[in-house]
Amino acid sequence: MKGKAEIHEFVRELLTASGDDGPLTDDDSLLLSGRLQSIDAVEIVVFLEENFGIDFAQIGFDRDEIDSIDLIFALTQATASAN
Amino acid sequence: MQDNEAQGAIEKILYMHPGVREAAAVDDGRDGFVAFVVPDQSFLDGISGRGSAGTTLLGKWQKTFDLSQLSKEAASAPVGLNTIGWNSSYTRQQIPVEEIKEWVENTVEDILLLSPTSVYEIGCGTGMLLMRIAPRCERYVGVDFSPVVLSRVREQLQTTPAIAERVEIMERRADDFDGLDENTFDTVVINSVVQYFPSAAYLTGVLENAIRIVRPGGHVYVGDVRSLPLLHAFAASVELFQASDETNGGELRDRIRRRVEREQELVLSPAYFLSLRERFPKLSRVEIRPIRGRADNEMSRYRYEAILHIDRESGASTVDEFLDCAERKFSLDEIRSMLAQNPNKRIGIKRIQNARIARDLAALEAVLDTDAELTMGEIRHTLDEAAEKGIHPQDILDLETQGWGFSVVLSWAACRPDGSYDACFVPADSMQEAAMPAIGWPEPDASEFACTANAPGKGRLRKELVEHLAAHCSQNLPLEMVPHDYMLVDKLTLTPNGEIDSRALLGARTASCRS
Repeated sequence: MKGKAEIHEFVRELLTASGDDGPLTDDDSLLLSGRLQSIDAVEIVVFLEENFGIDFAQIGFDRDEIDSIDLIFALTQATASAN
Repeated sequence: MQDNEAQGAIEKILYMHPGVREAAAVDDGRDGFVAFVVPDQSFLDGISGRGSAGTTLLGKWQKTFDLSQLSKEAASAPVGLNTIGWNSSYTRQQIPVEEIKEWVENTVEDILLLSPTSVYEIGCGTGMLLMRIAPRCERYVGVDFSPVVLSRVREQLQTTPAIAERVEIMERRADDFDGLDENTFDTVVINSVVQYFPSAAYLTGVLENAIRIVRPGGHVYVGDVRSLPLLHAFAASVELFQASDETNGGELRDRIRRRVEREQELVLSPAYFLSLRERFPKLSRVEIRPIRGRADNEMSRYRYEAILHIDRESGASTVDEFLDCAERKFSLDEIRSMLAQNPNKRIGIKRIQNARIARDLAALEAVLDTDAELTMGEIRHTLDEAAEKGIHPQDILDLETQGWGFSVVLSWAACRPDGSYDACFVPADSMQEAAMPAIGWPEPDASEFACTANAPGKGRLRKELVEHLAAHCSQNLPLEMVPHDYMLVDKLTLTPNGEIDSRALLGARTASCRS
């Protein structure tokens, strides 16, 4: 299973692709701050589905739960323990 | 070398670049040559590294809508008013429900004025329009590309059998018209949907079919369309709203530029819809109207509806002249007096300053003109005066219900970058076709038709193409012939004689630089 470093790297790539080369810490807000757009949330979701086996159709989706690297990591941990 | 020889030589070099589909070099009479280029779509797709960027973008939007309906709130949203996912660009929070309600009800009212009996709605979403309009129709077909969203509509229809019996729901993409015959419906509705289309070309394909399936006398209603002439003003207003008082003018300019460049949605000039008349002979008339309502949000400020009339006798305009509000500075009271003094005359007024966005435009101007060191706090301080200017479009529309005996129609067909609008007051008893009087509205000049849509998700690619072209020309042309600027356009505007319309192209560039 991938960990926090991979999530950080993935988010960094998303930000760079949208022209944001600013500093990134694990608790930075990504979507609510506007650094990423709502359509970018899809990239995060697909990344989580493919790499962590999270099924959002099953657990429901809340934008706030993927708003930072820390939150995304917590979601992967919670899903892993539930399984 | 003569100017036209030089132009020919520059164009020859431009055409050698694989990113160029069409090209024209025009001497601007001051700084030298400007290159106008219609980009090659497959080249852009190639440098994006994806096989089909259009499909990718559509797929992402579909997943975005699917996800929006997987939240806990979506499951308990009220019938016909599921506002989940309707987030404000300013606050990034959900737009207040009362504002969405006003917008939906006004939209429904506008569509019902078209007297629909059989409707095909593309992108019916969670059914906000469907649940209100279907009860007034014999047949209502709602299609959407998001299966999760459609499941919400089906849930609502289960609780309303009287509506359900005349409604059909289908999961399909907007461009899928499989099995739909010509002249099947009297109304096609595409509301708040085209911004998620990957390109203007995709939209044109959808509209071609939409027009085909509508019977003579019917309509295609395209609502909640984001305005291209006002895209920079919109970006400025959002960035101004979000900036802290310490942000300086230079930073804000960068953010505005980046927001426009990163735009993921399709943004269209009203000229796009006007230009369809040439392409589709079944289109007899196109109306462009700003959104109605009092709510102050991005829909009311920056969006419009385009109503396409299909094979309908339009009749001649009876407005002799549009009085120029920009010159004569009419107040609302002066307009009222005008109505009182001319009870039987059609009155047209053009270039009415738009109070909804006066502050945003002043902000854009202030940011472009001011010193980079000026802070947002200082800029904001200068804007309050601008907020008082102009007339709110709804104040003009409300004159209809204040006993003056006139029906009121507004138009944004002129595509002015200052967001000003035109109004026509038609004596109520002289109206043959209550909702839709034929009016010869002011329209834009040829330059507006050179670039009628943005390229969603491709801002950076287009910038990259311009850099490639500049390097290519520098390598292959003598210094004095290298264009000093490159502008990507949808098409090269032609004169009636079929020659490149240099004046229109340079006009489009001036408008773009001003933005």
